Amino acid sequence: MLSYADMTPSGRRYFEEIEVGEEFESPGRTVTETDIVLFAGLSGDYNVLHTDAEFMKKSIFGERIAHGLLGLTIQSGLFYRTGRVFATLAFVGLKWKFKGPIKIGDTIRLRTRVASKRETSKADRGLVVVERTVVNQRDEVVQEGETELLVERRPA
Amino acid sequence: MTVAASHTFFEDTKLNDLVTSPAMTLSLYSGITGDVAVEPGAVAELLPLCLSIGLGWRVPQPPLAVLAFMSMDYQIVRPLRVGDTVYGTSRVVSRRTMREGGIVIEDHEIINQRGEVAQRGRFTFLVARRPA
Repeated sequence: MLSYADMTPSGRRYFEEIEVGEEFESPGRTVTETDIVLFAGLSGDYNVLHTDAEFMKKSIFGERIAHGLLGLTIQSGLFYRTGRVFATLAFVGLKWKFKGPIKIGDTIRLRTRVASKRETSKADRGLVVVERTVVNQRDEVVQEGETELLVERRPA
Repeated sequence: MTVAASHTFFEDTKLNDLVTSPAMTLSLYSGITGDVAVEPGAVAELLPLCLSIGLGWRVPQPPLAVLAFMSMDYQIVRPLRVGDTVYGTSRVVSRRTMREGGIVIEDHEIINQRGEVAQRGRFTFLVARRPA
């Protein structure tokens, strides 16, 4: 049961309140051509996979696809739309697989499950491992992996 | 599938080849992820990763003819802040021929202005063969 005592003043949940096995499904987000163009500009990655519609007609994908890292970036934002966000101190690493293309107009959503958590040598923080699956509108897995987050512990 | 000329194809990759990118100073960014900033001046951890892929397109050798980005394993070693200047290095640690092209595994590092490794990871790409 969620109580205010478990939350930081800004409503973020401390390590103690996060339960192993808890699951979440995010709202969907439609990935647009604009997202891909902006991400090419931000990252500087102008690979033909993402920027050349004519070339991609002949590819195995048949059209431009989103950068894998754009999908990764969007899911990281979707994770913060739970309404019950973690009191994350730092993102420390991830293992990630790009399983299928994200195409213009696809709507992706994020499913997560807290796989494990453990205390660290520092009393003010704990490590939380989150399994993540990114699916499209046909429920096909397009990306999956796990991330490690350092989360604040409730102040003594 | 063929990729236009001026790419580094699978045949062009060499084991242990080290490539160093130009540097880039990190500035504020928001909006793309909808992510929450933890403290002022903190750089979202995924931003340097995203930028580093683009920095890899600004090296003297042509960009890798990537057919698919397959997987990665990535660690954030130390935080980066707005105003830090980073560059990237990339080294080919494995290459294996496949029917469609080849699998190339690279180790990447993002290094700050003090020479400290801020982020590192291992990337697996399916890379096109040179068109006949």
